Amino acid sequence: MKMGSTACGTAKMGEPQGSKRILVTGGSGLVGRAIQKVVADGAGLPGEDWVFVSSKDADLTDAAQTQALFQKVRPTHVIHLAAMVGGLFRNIKYNLDFWRENVHINDNVLHAAFEVGAHKVVSCLSTCVFPDKTTYPIDETMIHNGPPHSSNFGYAYAKRMIDVQNRAYFQQHGCTFTAVIPTNVFGPHDNFNIEDGHVLPGLIHKVHLAKSECRGLPDGVPGAQRGGGGSCWHGTPDTRPALPGGSGSALTVWGTGKPRRQFIYSLDLAQLFIWVLREYNEVEPIILSVGEEDEVSIKEAAEAVVEAMGFQGGITVSSVPVAGLVGTVASLTVLPGAGGGLAGHGAGRSFSCGLDYGAQFDTTKSDGQFKKTASNSKLRAYLPDFRFTPFKQAVKETCTWFADNYEQARK
Amino acid sequence: MGEPQGSKRILVTGGSGLVGRAIQKVVADGAGLPGEDWVFVSSKDADLTDAAQTQALFQKVRPTHVIHLAAMVGGLFRNIKYNLDFWRENVHINDNVLHAAFEVGAHKVVSCLSTCVFPDKTTYPIDETMIHNGPPHSSNFGAYFQQHGCTFTAVIPTNVFGPHDNFNIEDGHVLPGLIHKVHLAKSSGSALTVWGTGKPRRQFIYSLDLAQLFIWVLREYNEVEPIILSVGEEDEVSIKEAAEAVVEAMGFQGGITFDTTKSDGQFKKTASNSKLRAYLPDFRFTPFKQAVKETCTWFADNYEQARK
Repeated sequence: MKMGSTACGTAKMGEPQGSKRILVTGGSGLVGRAIQKVVADGAGLPGEDWVFVSSKDADLTDAAQTQALFQKVRPTHVIHLAAMVGGLFRNIKYNLDFWRENVHINDNVLHAAFEVGAHKVVSCLSTCVFPDKTTYPIDETMIHNGPPHSSNFGYAYAKRMIDVQNRAYFQQHGCTFTAVIPTNVFGPHDNFNIEDGHVLPGLIHKVHLAKSECRGLPDGVPGAQRGGGGSCWHGTPDTRPALPGGSGSALTVWGTGKPRRQFIYSLDLAQLFIWVLREYNEVEPIILSVGEEDEVSIKEAAEAVVEAMGFQGGITVSSVPVAGLVGTVASLTVLPGAGGGLAGHGAGRSFSCGLDYGAQFDTTKSDGQFKKTASNSKLRAYLPDFRFTPFKQAVKETCTWFADNYEQARK
Repeated sequence: MGEPQGSKRILVTGGSGLVGRAIQKVVADGAGLPGEDWVFVSSKDADLTDAAQTQALFQKVRPTHVIHLAAMVGGLFRNIKYNLDFWRENVHINDNVLHAAFEVGAHKVVSCLSTCVFPDKTTYPIDETMIHNGPPHSSNFGAYFQQHGCTFTAVIPTNVFGPHDNFNIEDGHVLPGLIHKVHLAKSSGSALTVWGTGKPRRQFIYSLDLAQLFIWVLREYNEVEPIILSVGEEDEVSIKEAAEAVVEAMGFQGGITFDTTKSDGQFKKTASNSKLRAYLPDFRFTPFKQAVKETCTWFADNYEQARK
């Protein structure tokens, strides 16, 4: 047991005076890539040497490998993003693994940073770690005031332990180890896997599939014509035949669509992360999020994706039940002239395809936590003028990135 | 599990400590059952902060059941100074033990929490559902049940005391600390100074009573939610009353002064033992003064080798 030693803040800042070496763990992930881009686009300062690492460089669940990495890089500062992460459904199944792997990663990284004398470590929590039963909005003082939502308690508690460990490093050794708490992050380089990813990339992937496969109409429906890999029906919405029993929708959104989330674009988060690294010196974490007024429902998020990918009708909820369909039927009307580039159809035609049989909500699937409204008052007290990218623009950029990078995207 | 039908091998980590020794005694005095093979280990057998050593121990012993008592523990003042080390070492020990038990296919693991893990700002009495309603603690055995269906559970004793405790005045807990101080005051004629105001209140549980209850939990208690093992709320005493019990037990004639410049720690941690009483309405705790007397006698008789 180290008694009375103060190893933090002893890493030599190199020449010229005040230069930093910043190690970013999880550098190949959603947020890591965003920081890379923001730095490459000019946000870096002279004297800052940015080193991005990923699982290829070291397995951070292994203490020896982590120590070796830190000894090799010898950072003066650390942005710690590496974690085992997953969406709602994967978390529900594997709470133990999410707990253990993340506790190991976090302990290995924090302690290696301490041993190498890093001046500052900024780790990454999540609003999913907050108590489930709570008043809203959530703020930074409330992290530990009750159990987290049961769906991902393993991950949530592991992340909370970062805050516990930060406080212990400060209390015992005076280190500035702190953390940020983003709300739902999205952007290029996300995990777009429908089973394991988060909601927004999952929606983007689903809409992309629905668009490009152009299917959803069962065989034998009057008026169906073969094309584009499936059956499509060409005509106008009001003469569209009713579906026989069974779902014909190409886009299924899991849950009711009612839960609400604050989404933060990864590039905005990256800018804020860099500000925190340079300027924020409290041990208590800071929430990084758009304001409460920018909270949207999952349904609204799905609509933003659908619109961004070329469908202008949006999603509406039909109050007329259709026999045999599960959940709420939504109808999506494609306007003339829209959807240029849809496989098998020319622009300018009036047509219905795949998605015209609507997006539906599979209410048998879990909704997860209904809301997690977080306050960004602390952030606004520091940065009253910070401007977030408008949600629809950020969604559009992400959808475009996904379409352009489909082959290599994580899915 | 080996022959004959239903035989168990029970590994007790932290076997040389306050509670471990109490279980050893209770088993040796006849509480063990046929078919139960009790194995007590300590830091001499393995460093449980080391995953490989822990795995090797479990592979060697191959327990069917585990009572996990091993921890880095300390009194108020040591905890205040070394929060990081208490955190890290105990997280490592607990993870290594729980996972080694899981890997070797143990049927049941009973770990040991403490009422000091409960939220500070809370209503009283505390009960088992309230553990997480404030700052968290380091073990997360609930995940083993959720992901793998194992019966890994825990008990939550209040302040334990008894023979084989750590009587170190700086680092030990309040009751053994008082016993040591009175012993020194008696033998050297010095004054007795108690740290703090004497007003904080505690429920004390005698280690031999706790040991009996631990064995009952191992055999009969199958919930994943932990269970508080404690005397009732009506038996809560102040530090001053505890000091007076020690003074009386040891026949000390001098007075008690309170050094109010020293920290009091948490004012109260009153825990409910309703859940325990629902299971065991007739369990009888050793009366406090008798338990204190037995402990003081043990300390005087074993002064040389006692941990201090």
